Amino acid sequence: MIFSTNSKSDLKNAADMLKENEPTLKIDFKNSEPSNNNQLWLKKTFKKYYFKYFINVALPEKINLHEFGFRYFDEKMYRHFSFNSPGEIYAFVLKFSPSDIYCSSSFYRNPSEPMDKKEWYGSELIFDIDGKDLHLECTLEHNYTRCHGCNLINAGVLEKCSNCNGSRLNVIEIPCKNCIFFLKKEVKKLINLLVEDFGIDSKTISVYFSGNNGFHLHVADKDYLPLLSVERAEISSYLLGKGFKLETLGLKINNDKKFIPILKNKQLLDCGWRGRILKNLKINFYSGKNADNNFIKQIEKLETIWNCDFQQKVAKTIEDLSVKIDPMVTMDIHRIFRLAGSLNSKSGFAKILCNDVDSFDPFKDACFFDKSTIEIVSKIDTSIFFKGKKYNLNKGSNSVPEYVAVYLISKGLADINLKEI
Amino acid sequence: MSIKLGTNDLAKYPFLNEASTYVKETHFDLQEFDRTEMEFILNRSFNKIDNFIKNGETNYKLEKFEIEILTFLASLLILKSASIDIITKKFALFESMRFEKYLVEDLKNSFKDEKKRLILLKIFNEIFKIDIFCETIVNEFYKIRVIDYIHRSIVFHEEEWKLINRTVKNGFVYLNVNEIVRLFRNELSLLIIDKIKNMKLVTFPDKVLKKSQNLKIYWDSINKRSKVSDHVNKNRTTPPCIDHIYKVLNNGENLPHSARLLLATFLLFSEKNIEEIIEIFKKLPDYNEQITRYQLEHLSGKKGSSKKYFVPSCEKIKLQNLCHETFVCKGIINPIQLLGKRRDEIEKEEGKG
Repeated sequence: MIFSTNSKSDLKNAADMLKENEPTLKIDFKNSEPSNNNQLWLKKTFKKYYFKYFINVALPEKINLHEFGFRYFDEKMYRHFSFNSPGEIYAFVLKFSPSDIYCSSSFYRNPSEPMDKKEWYGSELIFDIDGKDLHLECTLEHNYTRCHGCNLINAGVLEKCSNCNGSRLNVIEIPCKNCIFFLKKEVKKLINLLVEDFGIDSKTISVYFSGNNGFHLHVADKDYLPLLSVERAEISSYLLGKGFKLETLGLKINNDKKFIPILKNKQLLDCGWRGRILKNLKINFYSGKNADNNFIKQIEKLETIWNCDFQQKVAKTIEDLSVKIDPMVTMDIHRIFRLAGSLNSKSGFAKILCNDVDSFDPFKDACFFDKSTIEIVSKIDTSIFFKGKKYNLNKGSNSVPEYVAVYLISKGLADINLKEI
Repeated sequence: MSIKLGTNDLAKYPFLNEASTYVKETHFDLQEFDRTEMEFILNRSFNKIDNFIKNGETNYKLEKFEIEILTFLASLLILKSASIDIITKKFALFESMRFEKYLVEDLKNSFKDEKKRLILLKIFNEIFKIDIFCETIVNEFYKIRVIDYIHRSIVFHEEEWKLINRTVKNGFVYLNVNEIVRLFRNELSLLIIDKIKNMKLVTFPDKVLKKSQNLKIYWDSINKRSKVSDHVNKNRTTPPCIDHIYKVLNNGENLPHSARLLLATFLLFSEKNIEEIIEIFKKLPDYNEQITRYQLEHLSGKKGSSKKYFVPSCEKIKLQNLCHETFVCKGIINPIQLLGKRRDEIEKEEGKG
């Protein structure tokens, strides 16, 4: 395990660290201030989380080899930081209360230098499964659309604002149980492929809830550390099912649209993508004298049952079996990732390790704020489930637990009541 | 268990450490190449290089292992003394293709012959620093670790080499003997180039110098023809992707199929005739006039389906890792858009921006 959770002793002297290291902190970061009341309140609330739960933050074992980055509540990004100990980071976080904390998956000799001088050692293999890439129909119903023109929050995903007909819109994602279910399904598909095909030990795979609407998988297998970007892209391409040739199944289609067997040796048909596709299409393997003919006959027969051509059926099967990862995330070896245990400013949830993917519920397990009552002004009528309880909100003033307030304000669906500032 | 290579193995694979050890143990001095009895070896080496570079021909017939080892050594010396990168690379490519043929034969036989198998596994381990495994439950397949496979296969652009079109199981990729050897061709070629580059000699035997002089004379004679980049109108902007291909060609390096296609379609679109384009492709280490001519005629629509192939789009070029974008590429979607523009115009535009 490359990432480890902080021990209490590491953080014991953090208060002293704060004073000792202050002169070394980057000056430009100090000048960023939140520009509105929501940000001011979130900053205060996030700081409280880090004060109480910094032990959740899983820092890399060799901190000094990683680049750190921070987003502040002015929404600006600051990169190329490096630290020598957990205490230094703790001091930094408490001092500046960033909205988001990032850490490189890569190891560098000089992590705080510009990219061309960092001297890359290697990088963990990371996969990102994001809800928006699943294109689920339910999202059209339960997500919201905010109009940049008139600021109206529209229920559902729209192409034009229902108020001003403006088309400059952005979608506010509110994942539902269905979204979480399908995200978990992708996670399990990915683990299965990594273990069965790549032979990766499942113990080296860590699944994290991203803190908003997705999951991150970190593979801490040392063999994969030196892989270059283009090599990681090939792994992504495999998982996404890109570039599959029909001939790989042991047949081709000639000009008369007839199937021609092309692999004499069919001993390896039951492995990898080939095996997965044939198994899914319930195509059996034959051995012996008429193996090729029986194989082809079987496909011809199935084509009539499916009432669709074999190539289309294979393409559809690949689409179903592929894992909906974001390939750019996996191949980008210089990306900085949200640090496990830190908060995601898009939701106020923490990026958190999921020991049991099946039972994981982000609205319970990634939510670390308390239940003290907070006054907010909701921009919409909505209802939301948190920690097993349904909260119905009307447009206007509402009293909700702090964790609901953080979520709705982070999502831009509510404003903090001024009396809370 | 210590595995000893047979003399036949040394004849086939004279680049192995054991072949070098053999030379050392016989106390052979390189200056001995000046002896009259060695003329046979030097002529054999020179003819081999000559055949590679002029005719693209390879002779697979093996002599006694002592002769093969010394021929290989003499070839390296001639090439080192000549110091012509393109010829060195061409030699390395053809020689690796020759070794590839022996490796395929040996690997095929290795499934029934355990001793042979162990020798080959040792060879792979020594040269390529990789373990290959014989899969006992599946006939006539070897397997290598997925990472070792990806590391090598990404240089191939054909879809059949993509991991998704391979048999992948439990962290291994299964390959038949032809595939496994093909996968390592580039490395074998680089190994030979390294051997030549790393030779440290103060003086060369006179007869080696004579042979290398002949090689230089030949090379100068064909190099009187213009350089690849001279085919380009200096006033016009050459797309950076094409410029990069020219650089690779001038270094005598091989090009993937996709780069050849890009260059050929670009030159055809630039109204170069097939003879002019063939002249450019002659720099490729594996150049074959017949194949090049056929393919150019095919691309230009003179052969086959009479369909004229268009220059690939920037998007496709990017996907094929052939894009070397600079400011001149701003706003274009196909490299041919730069053909009509003069470089100074672009620089002027850039200055305004």
